[in-house]
Amino acid sequence: MAGSFFRNLIRNRAMLLMVLPGAVWFLFFSYMPLIGTIAAFKEYRFSRQGFWYSLTHSKNVGWDNFKYLFNTDAAYTITRNTLLYNIAFIFLGLVFSVALAIILSEIVNKRMAKLYQTGMFLPYFLSWVIVGYFAFSFLSMDRGLLNHTLESFGIDSIQWYNEPKYWPFILIFVSLWKSAGYNSVVYLASIMGIDKSLYEAAMIDGANKWQQIRNITLPLLKPIIIIMTLLAVGRIFYADFGLFYNVPRDSGTLYSVTNVIDTYVYRGLKTTGEIGMSTAAGLYQSVVGFILVMVSNFIVRKIDKDSALF
Amino acid sequence: MGKSTKSFGLLSAALLSFSLVLGGCGGGNGNGNAADSGGGSEKPVELIWYTIGTPQKDVDTVMEKVSEYTKEKINATVKMKMIDWGDYQQKMQVLVASGEPMDIIFTSAGGFDYVQNARKGAFLQIDDLLQKYGKGIIDTIDPAFLSGSKVDGHNYGIPANKELPQQDVWRFNKNLLDKYNLDISNVRSLESLEPLLKTIKEKEPNVTPFGLDKNHVPTVPYDFLITNMPMAVKLDTTDYKVVNILETDEMKKALRTMHKYYKAGYISPEAATVGSTNDLTKSGNWLVDRAQTQPLAENLWAAAYGYPVVSTPASDPIITNASVQGSIMAISANSEHPEKAMEFLNLLNTDPVLRNMVDSGIEGVHYEKIGENRIRNLEAAKNYDMPSYSLGNNMILYLNENDPDDKWEQFKAFNAKGVPSPILGFNFDSTKVATEMAAIQNVKEQYWSSLMTGTVDPDEYLPIAIEKFKAAGLDKVIAEAQAQLDAWVAENKK
Repeated sequence: MAGSFFRNLIRNRAMLLMVLPGAVWFLFFSYMPLIGTIAAFKEYRFSRQGFWYSLTHSKNVGWDNFKYLFNTDAAYTITRNTLLYNIAFIFLGLVFSVALAIILSEIVNKRMAKLYQTGMFLPYFLSWVIVGYFAFSFLSMDRGLLNHTLESFGIDSIQWYNEPKYWPFILIFVSLWKSAGYNSVVYLASIMGIDKSLYEAAMIDGANKWQQIRNITLPLLKPIIIIMTLLAVGRIFYADFGLFYNVPRDSGTLYSVTNVIDTYVYRGLKTTGEIGMSTAAGLYQSVVGFILVMVSNFIVRKIDKDSALF
Repeated sequence: MGKSTKSFGLLSAALLSFSLVLGGCGGGNGNGNAADSGGGSEKPVELIWYTIGTPQKDVDTVMEKVSEYTKEKINATVKMKMIDWGDYQQKMQVLVASGEPMDIIFTSAGGFDYVQNARKGAFLQIDDLLQKYGKGIIDTIDPAFLSGSKVDGHNYGIPANKELPQQDVWRFNKNLLDKYNLDISNVRSLESLEPLLKTIKEKEPNVTPFGLDKNHVPTVPYDFLITNMPMAVKLDTTDYKVVNILETDEMKKALRTMHKYYKAGYISPEAATVGSTNDLTKSGNWLVDRAQTQPLAENLWAAAYGYPVVSTPASDPIITNASVQGSIMAISANSEHPEKAMEFLNLLNTDPVLRNMVDSGIEGVHYEKIGENRIRNLEAAKNYDMPSYSLGNNMILYLNENDPDDKWEQFKAFNAKGVPSPILGFNFDSTKVATEMAAIQNVKEQYWSSLMTGTVDPDEYLPIAIEKFKAAGLDKVIAEAQAQLDAWVAENKK
């Protein structure tokens, strides 16, 4: 047994060496922290023997740390916000990115097309902190561009950072603005790879632009669309922390529509310092996320076996 | 066969290296403890000292000098690590939780909460050490500090000797007061500010009349059980009843006034989301704000802002847990040299040479002496600009150029004037209601700032907030607090 193990090791040394960096990375940043999950079931107390000792010697409290999530409507709000926003991002992001990609591919002047593309690409590289200030320059209540415009038309200015009802739209808009350009590049690349003779044949048959898009471009984009969407669904329970924390400027009045699991965990640790409870919220996120990935993959496998991730 | 063996091999390799890593951690700790119990040392020990404040360029240079001095006196050297104001709480939570080596830690009611972390086991209980190595401290600092910083009857840190009570004041931008001939002699309550705010709003459209940020809480005659959490006891209480501050008439009235000011445009529309009013104080575009005072505070403010500032009281000077626990140096629970740390703290609080070196830097580099107890900052002082209040005994500090000779006498008089809060010395233990506390904390984050800054209408939002607090379990927390307080009163007030 041991002999065959080492023989195997030697025989596959090249492959194993290639896997090594990735495996080490996963070990340190994905598997080691798993042990910290124990903290979710502990009343964490410091001890002078360091983190591991504190972790193993803190009092076991069972499911107590999860109670605060479900005692209030917090768990419902953050789960709902996380899911609905991500569904909106996935769906609208898909529509916008594909539309952008198709429009870009149809622009004849290639230099202009490159210019537009770069322009739409740029926001992707901005940090959320900066994007947050961009939004603030529009939405600031006394000096913002939007309120100035409203006032010049004689309309009452709006307290943007105190009115939850506008925020679903603002957040979705900002998110699309930042990511659509980047995602469209993926689709643009596969449109570029489509055989031009297909379009020539269609044109000879008298197909107009719309018919060409519907019957050639979109069907050929389908595999990449499915893969991109599945990857996004896999992260549906992970909210974009920067978006939900920086853009609403941490305004308490807006929490009902801006609080997602990631910001909730962060605020919990920041304000209470209760490691056990924050870990519990994080664990809840992982478990529900895991279920969602399994379910969506199961559904995809039912529909189209080759497109499933596993 | 081939495939399954391969994956098994990979797994066992992973497990092996994993356990090696873990073993490494444990081993390291074991060694540390062995060295610790070694005791009698000829080699100077190094004390690691975490403290609050913007990291200064010359910290290491100054600490070298400090170490030379302390090596001679107590055979220890000092390494200071500064963490910026805004980051201190969060970074210390993580550093302490991960068992980072450290000996002395700054803690206070506001930054890296003293009571809470003492109960979590972050600090060493120092009753014996204090008796053995801290005689100088006991003789020097106001006894109210040491008794007020006891948690469950034990000391966990050395408070800095400084102003003892806390007193809220209204601070005014004197330039604007003079320009419009405004009189502040009748100002005391929140309501009494109105005519002044109104004048400035009308005549100076670019000035924010009432400067405040999201941490603002109106002055009400209550003492909070935990800083800015809704459980409070009235200052002139006779029955020691714990109440929800949001349900008190005083707070309701204050919030209505705040909302009125907000609607009138006296308060910045961003108040509930901005973290500080630095922009206003820097530019001078404000009339009034509220601050906590100490003797001669007006001079400090004027020096910091570059224009005159005057103030008038908004409350009486009250000695509260928060004010007594405003600045404490604790010894870390995982310190390897607790005795040396205590010797160092004793020296720091009693030896003017050491205390002033830590505070002002190196003579001839950062400051020069212009009298026996008086110094002037030199150009390099900007590379070593330390917060004086946080580091230790203030009353042995050298005077600055413009300070009056009786500065510390004024502090002592101010301290004598302070009225103790009815619950001074009572520290609420929230461990039994930790679940509710976390939920309440979340509700607080959501509603607190917008209510306290007047951003939302209290008639509409106060009932909602009260209900959410109830749903989160505030009643249970108040009941628990009441039971603990009753027991404490029975023990201490009879």
